[in-house]
Amino acid sequence: MLTERELQINPIVQESVLHNTKTLTTLHNLTASLFGVGAGILGLESYLGFVFYLIFSLITSALVYAFRVRPGIVKEYFRSSIELWTGGLFEGLSGFVLTWTLFYGLVRA
Amino acid sequence: MSSSLSHPPAHLPPAVALQLSQQAPVTLRSTPSVISSYSFTTLWSAAETPELWTEYENLMLSCLRTGDEQSAGVCLERLTERFGAENERLMALRGLFQEAIAKDDATLKQVLEEYETILTKDPSNMPVSKRRIALLKTLGKTTEAITALNEFVDSSPTDAEAWAELADLYVTQGMYPQAIFALEEVLLITPYAWNIHARLGEVLFMAGSSGDTSTDKYLAEALRRFCRSIELCDDYLRGYYGLKLTTNKLLTSLPQASRQSKSDSGLPIPDIKTVERLNETATAKLSEIVRRSVSGESGWEGYENAEVIAAKALLDSGAAKSIR
Amino acid sequence: MAQIPVQTIHRDPQLFYWILIPITVVMILTGILRHYATVLMATTPKKQELPAIREQRSLLRGINLRTNANAISPVSFQARKDYLVNAYEKGDFLKEPDKKGQAAPNPMTDPAAMEGMMGMMKGNMAMMIPQTLIMGWINAFFSGFVMIKLPFPLTIKFKSMLQAGVATRDMDPQWMSSISWYVLCIFGLQSVFNYLLGSDNAASQMAQQMGQMGPGAGAQMFGPGVDPDKQFQAEAENLSVLAQEYTLVGVEERLLETVRV
Repeated sequence: MLTERELQINPIVQESVLHNTKTLTTLHNLTASLFGVGAGILGLESYLGFVFYLIFSLITSALVYAFRVRPGIVKEYFRSSIELWTGGLFEGLSGFVLTWTLFYGLVRA
Repeated sequence: MSSSLSHPPAHLPPAVALQLSQQAPVTLRSTPSVISSYSFTTLWSAAETPELWTEYENLMLSCLRTGDEQSAGVCLERLTERFGAENERLMALRGLFQEAIAKDDATLKQVLEEYETILTKDPSNMPVSKRRIALLKTLGKTTEAITALNEFVDSSPTDAEAWAELADLYVTQGMYPQAIFALEEVLLITPYAWNIHARLGEVLFMAGSSGDTSTDKYLAEALRRFCRSIELCDDYLRGYYGLKLTTNKLLTSLPQASRQSKSDSGLPIPDIKTVERLNETATAKLSEIVRRSVSGESGWEGYENAEVIAAKALLDSGAAKSIR
Repeated sequence: MAQIPVQTIHRDPQLFYWILIPITVVMILTGILRHYATVLMATTPKKQELPAIREQRSLLRGINLRTNANAISPVSFQARKDYLVNAYEKGDFLKEPDKKGQAAPNPMTDPAAMEGMMGMMKGNMAMMIPQTLIMGWINAFFSGFVMIKLPFPLTIKFKSMLQAGVATRDMDPQWMSSISWYVLCIFGLQSVFNYLLGSDNAASQMAQQMGQMGPGAGAQMFGPGVDPDKQFQAEAENLSVLAQEYTLVGVEERLLETVRV
């Protein structure tokens, strides 16, 4: 993290950070639902399903990192690199559980 | 509609404004004239967006700039149909339209009276009171405009636009300390606006070159402001231009100046070595910008022609002096 | 220890068509309805008198000065600080300067304050009414059905929550009743709303609840029942203890270091 004084010398545009986070959240939300569909159809249970979700959302983040963020300058787009990697993880989880349960139920009924 | 219409600020380059207004009749025909809020057809037609009305406003301003009063009138009509004549912003826009079509000062004075009647009824109508100040400025009553603006910023001290306008008016009157104060207020509202930093630097430079007291202090402050504006915006032509001017001036005045002004509050004047290095940097950067922008390299197109020419002139004069 | 055999319950596939899908669809539609209801009910901000605007913006000016103090030189900062602190303490910017020192009016009697409370009420209503209606609807029609199995195991504690209305003692807590499917929908449909209505929609209850808990800065600062004089005094105190650090100190060295020609 930057110190307060460094932030003032090289300010971060709040709107852009907000826009980045928003876009990333939308992406994570959508992909999480899709992963839920996948996990449900595959019939994954308990830990396997969560591991499936974790791996695939990390892959999504990695794809964003590789294609959208030039490596090495994460700091210019996000407040910290942790935000990029774990930002959407928890927001997407509820959507994942919903679609996972739905499709698991539909397939295994 | 074209994309340049949807940018909220109405600061389009003249060429773009001309192009827009030439297409205005076509644009007006192709866009829906009025969107009723409740009807079955709205369910299937495109939804009403805030951008549409911004576009109307910008189109109207472009048309007024290029003298297409008819299209501007149509825009105004449609806006009035949508938002009603009592909308504050529309009242200001209508006033603007009347100002634009006014042929002589007498008509303008009539518009001014209209503004005043509106303002006596509702003193909190910000857009109209801004228009009134602008009209006062147009009529050449600068002192009155300044008084009105001072009242305005007293009741609305968080309006950066008003403070910037006040600073400009003060500069025209040569009241530099007041202008500096107003610009500092702008910076308190938008601390990272590099153009305001550069503008403040310019005013400080003017204050430093005109006054006879504490010249060096003003110049040092101006130097720092220009540095800051460049720090916030890389390759900022205006910032480098100001930096070069200021360092030139400081280099001529510093050697003779005894350091007596150092003791008072404020930052010390930077030592002559730093000033020299800054001058060299500014010169090099300016020539780079001029060279690249004249040859039209990609990534360097955004500079305004007039500014590039001015920078070139400054560089040439500097070169001539050094040859001599 | 013997492995507990996995419970299998044979359910009528019609359950899906007549309960699961209707609940989901209704939830989505209610979310959309709530979004548009909130948009339509949003009142335009009431026009304020000039002294009130002045009062608010003067306070904002102090806050601006405090947050962005580093942008101006110490001399200018000191001058502004002295002026503002003095004016704040004297109450120069107050809407009614002669009323300084009196207690804030009762928000119930102040019509302007009532307006603000009505706005909050409307927001709450838009959330509460559909929620109770749907809860009632589900309880009336679909209670007692075992709907769907969660794909992950849960402890026995969840049984009472997930299997509300199904009084079977030995059933695995993984099985869910219709009401718990509804709860799952509340949390999980967030992403669907994000997709359908854009990210700053009013459809999701989660966001609404977050908004209420977090400091709604704009609404609370000038909200009803807040004594502006007290705010001014507090701001004066904040300003007078502020340590300013000029950003422009050493800017020329920083510039010389970073700029490459």
